[in-house]
Amino acid sequence: MPGSLEGVRVFDLTLWMVGPWASTQLGALGADVIHIEQPSVDPRTLGAGVPPTINGTSIGYMTWNQNKRGLFLDLKSPTDRQTAYELLQTCDVFLINMRPGAAERMGVGYEQVKAVNPNIIYTAITGWGEVGPMRDKPGADVQAQYFTGFWSVSGAEGGRPEVYRHMAQIDATTGNVAVQAVLMGLLARKRTGQGQRIHVGMLRAGMALQSGRIAEYLSTETLHQPLGSAAFATAPDQAFQCQWGDWIGVSVTSEEEWQRFAAIMRESEAEVEAIDDLSTDPRWSTNRDRVARRSELAALLQAGFQQRPRHYWMLRLSAAGIPCGYPISFETLQHHAQAIENAYLREVETSGWGKVWTGGAPWEFSHTPARWFGACLPGEHTGEILDELAARRTMADEPTPVIGD
Amino acid sequence: MSGPLDGYRVVEISEGVAGPYTTMSLADAGADVIKIEPPHGDRARGWAPSVGDDSPLFLALNRNKRGIVLDWSSDEDLQTARRLLSQADVAVVDKYGLPPDLRWEELESPGLIYCAISGFGPKGPWADRPASEIGTQMASEATSSLGNLGDPPVRHGSDIGSVFAANNAIQAICAALYARDDSDPDHPTGGQRVEVSLFGSLIAMRSTLWVALSNPDEWWGFHLDSYIKPPDHGYQCRDLPIYFSLARIRGEAFESLLDELDMDWAREHPDFEKLRTDGAGGAGRYAAALTPLWERGFANFDAEQVIEVVERHGGWAFSMHDYERLSKDPQVAAVGAIIEVEQQDGSAMRQVAPPWDFEQTPVSMTMRPAPRLGQHQDEVLSESATRS
Repeated sequence: MPGSLEGVRVFDLTLWMVGPWASTQLGALGADVIHIEQPSVDPRTLGAGVPPTINGTSIGYMTWNQNKRGLFLDLKSPTDRQTAYELLQTCDVFLINMRPGAAERMGVGYEQVKAVNPNIIYTAITGWGEVGPMRDKPGADVQAQYFTGFWSVSGAEGGRPEVYRHMAQIDATTGNVAVQAVLMGLLARKRTGQGQRIHVGMLRAGMALQSGRIAEYLSTETLHQPLGSAAFATAPDQAFQCQWGDWIGVSVTSEEEWQRFAAIMRESEAEVEAIDDLSTDPRWSTNRDRVARRSELAALLQAGFQQRPRHYWMLRLSAAGIPCGYPISFETLQHHAQAIENAYLREVETSGWGKVWTGGAPWEFSHTPARWFGACLPGEHTGEILDELAARRTMADEPTPVIGD
Repeated sequence: MSGPLDGYRVVEISEGVAGPYTTMSLADAGADVIKIEPPHGDRARGWAPSVGDDSPLFLALNRNKRGIVLDWSSDEDLQTARRLLSQADVAVVDKYGLPPDLRWEELESPGLIYCAISGFGPKGPWADRPASEIGTQMASEATSSLGNLGDPPVRHGSDIGSVFAANNAIQAICAALYARDDSDPDHPTGGQRVEVSLFGSLIAMRSTLWVALSNPDEWWGFHLDSYIKPPDHGYQCRDLPIYFSLARIRGEAFESLLDELDMDWAREHPDFEKLRTDGAGGAGRYAAALTPLWERGFANFDAEQVIEVVERHGGWAFSMHDYERLSKDPQVAAVGAIIEVEQQDGSAMRQVAPPWDFEQTPVSMTMRPAPRLGQHQDEVLSESATRS
């Protein structure tokens, strides 16, 4: 079955992560993504040279360029620029993530591309925005994480806030937001019949990701202090240590769940007196009461959780519909039925680096399934794509068939 | 001019963060969103802190929607929901109390895009387990990027699992709408069911790490040793912490940097060679050992001074904003990332703006407040009755 974006073609002039991650997803949705690299590209600079490498190539390149075809084009050469314009006539989407002004210098600013293809959805991705004092500053994930306060809400309880050590979350979020913008642009084009220019940036995408937390700060003007595994808005909603030392994460986020949770604690004969009457104790009447006395409640519940093994709590809580989970490492996830059956984690063949593990498509479509295939080499499909353009040229030269002839 | 999704009708039956964030975005983009709440309301109304009867998170994630209340123990209300769904382009549901009658299989709405958001995905042994941030952050290994090995787990304090899933849900909905509206009229694609989950989206967002772990040429890369690193708190200056990396500072520039920071003592330090060649950056291989050295130098200067000196020498230094500094930053103001939304009582509430700029179909930054419980009951129901 064809994917959702069957028939949509993307001119992918992107580098590093944000743009390539967006086009990786468009490819997974079924679009024909043509990823452009300079023929003279130094292989060591692919994927921003992010370590580690596999066979000498940054793992960044092979993560962020899946589901695409590779084309070499030198936009500084007049011949290749003509090829680019010819290709752009066949494209629906133009995607670029370079600093403001770079596209124009390469002959592919919006006005230049629009002259070739007025219906194109032209999407520019920047770090800090197209206006303001920081517009020309370089922006990568790490700076965006620090600048947007993404680091400021995590950390051990009572300790200093800490940075999320696996980078790329704001990069990938911005890529995701760019995909939304492209799709909305395509939908609007169905209605208006017109292409348009779209912009998204890491600063606003990274802030949107934190809409809830930032709204809480702006309303109260009180900064969140790190709470370890606990939630700011709800309680009990945190990790507890079970018998034998295993951790379990438990979330109670509504009053109705609180009643069910209290019943389980009561029935579990935890031998902690105060746990028997959680549902009637006025200290815990509402979520806001429980949040206000979070530590007191957590200490009480911890005494109960440590009386039984984690498996017991997982079974009881799951059966009652109380959300719970526990830490799983990559080695286990690779073989975990939940990750594998949903194809969230999968192994794919690549053109230059053997089999690699990667996240898969995060969506499941009942009628227009997503696809996933390994990264292309830079320029890998240059011959094939140029042949397609040549064939199109030949067809255009043939006389138009007369209907009814 | 109106937003890119002008004309699309959306029905939301969800609570908390993931579903409401999804439909907030669709509403921001111009869709007409009807939020169906149970009689006791979306659970997030009762979350902390409180703003009147509601929470700031609820007020932010439910702007621009119209709200009605339906009770699933009433057959009439179930019928109403079915009618609203049959008149909609999109349904967004989660598994908090969705009645079996309103599952995709039970509906006769051939054009409907039905988006279900779950904790762990539609297949597999955990398909029916409910969603939570801490449960899915732990199960997707996200918590291994925070805290100290062996210490209690640390969650990411923002609702990353829910918002990652929401961002994917918005994509899936728009892609399915495109497939429906762009298909050959003789062989229409029609509506369909799309599914996303917090677990699946958290795993997808860690893809770079999974590829890095496949078969790296060498183990030490900034994603790989993140497992065993101590928490990264940035680099403390006299007043505030900063992000700092030498980037391209080498040779003479490096010597000059040390001079300007009064760090002559560093030249005698046993770790000087590492300092000179590997520099720093929370991601760097020797960051844990080198951070105290840089902090000894930075302690004599304010963050602003250190940033200026580092940038002038070709390195990278950035303010580590908390939300207070972020909300006052001139760049945030310049790009309009924080907007004011007039609330039911006439007060102005500051919220984060939608992240996209459309030149031809701009998103309106004049927004309507989140609905009071059941605020649009009569309006929505009479509209729906007229339509059928």
